[in-house]
Amino acid sequence: MASHVLAKCVRQLARSSARFSSGNIAVRVAAAPVLSNSRAWSFTARSQRTRWNEQLLVSSPVGVLCRQYGHLPPLTLDTIRERVMYVLKLYDKINPEQLSTSSHFMKDLGLDSLDQVEIIMAMEDEFGFEIPDAEAEKLLSPQEIVQYIADKNDVYE
Amino acid sequence: MANPLRNEVLQLYRNLLYLGREYPKGADYFRERLKSAFMKNKDVTDPSQIKKLVDRGEFVIKELEALYFLRKYRAMKKRYYEYEQ
Repeated sequence: MASHVLAKCVRQLARSSARFSSGNIAVRVAAAPVLSNSRAWSFTARSQRTRWNEQLLVSSPVGVLCRQYGHLPPLTLDTIRERVMYVLKLYDKINPEQLSTSSHFMKDLGLDSLDQVEIIMAMEDEFGFEIPDAEAEKLLSPQEIVQYIADKNDVYE
Repeated sequence: MANPLRNEVLQLYRNLLYLGREYPKGADYFRERLKSAFMKNKDVTDPSQIKKLVDRGEFVIKELEALYFLRKYRAMKKRYYEYEQ
């Protein structure tokens, strides 16, 4: 019973706050450019930057609607290496002290092919793309993984 | 090493590992069990035997999918029909 009442209250609250935000477009328009000030400006916004600052309160919502997806810091060989090593350090079957960029997973670290599959899956998660089986098999050391990811993302020295 | 079934087994392991992420008892629990299940049969060399074991793995995949589907269905039902009884 108590949970029922609670759920009702929450639902009402959500509804009223939704009404509030849709009724206050002006507030959103005013707030959004301020929020995005620190980020990179989109193309349209950049060309109108000076005008934007003057017209913050009356401008059309067009500029606000273009979403700026989170941009990551650019990948370099160093950052890739850092992230790969970080993921490997967190993997419970690897001893972080034995780990180096050139160590072979099976010969030096004593892992088996199933562990290697797990590592490749962890890399897929970390870098957000899929590594096909045929290539995943050949990635047997941190250095090879770094090289492969750099090739895939067009990162060169 | 160059066993043609090797890829199949690794693929199976990969798929099971992927499905195990949402296992109710936790991904780590599932991963340990999965690993030990695979290691238990690591000495099997007979191709027909391996085939049979891979088929069993496929069956487990189906079971897991059914489990997740049922879980989803139950959650949806609970959300939409709880108060109408």
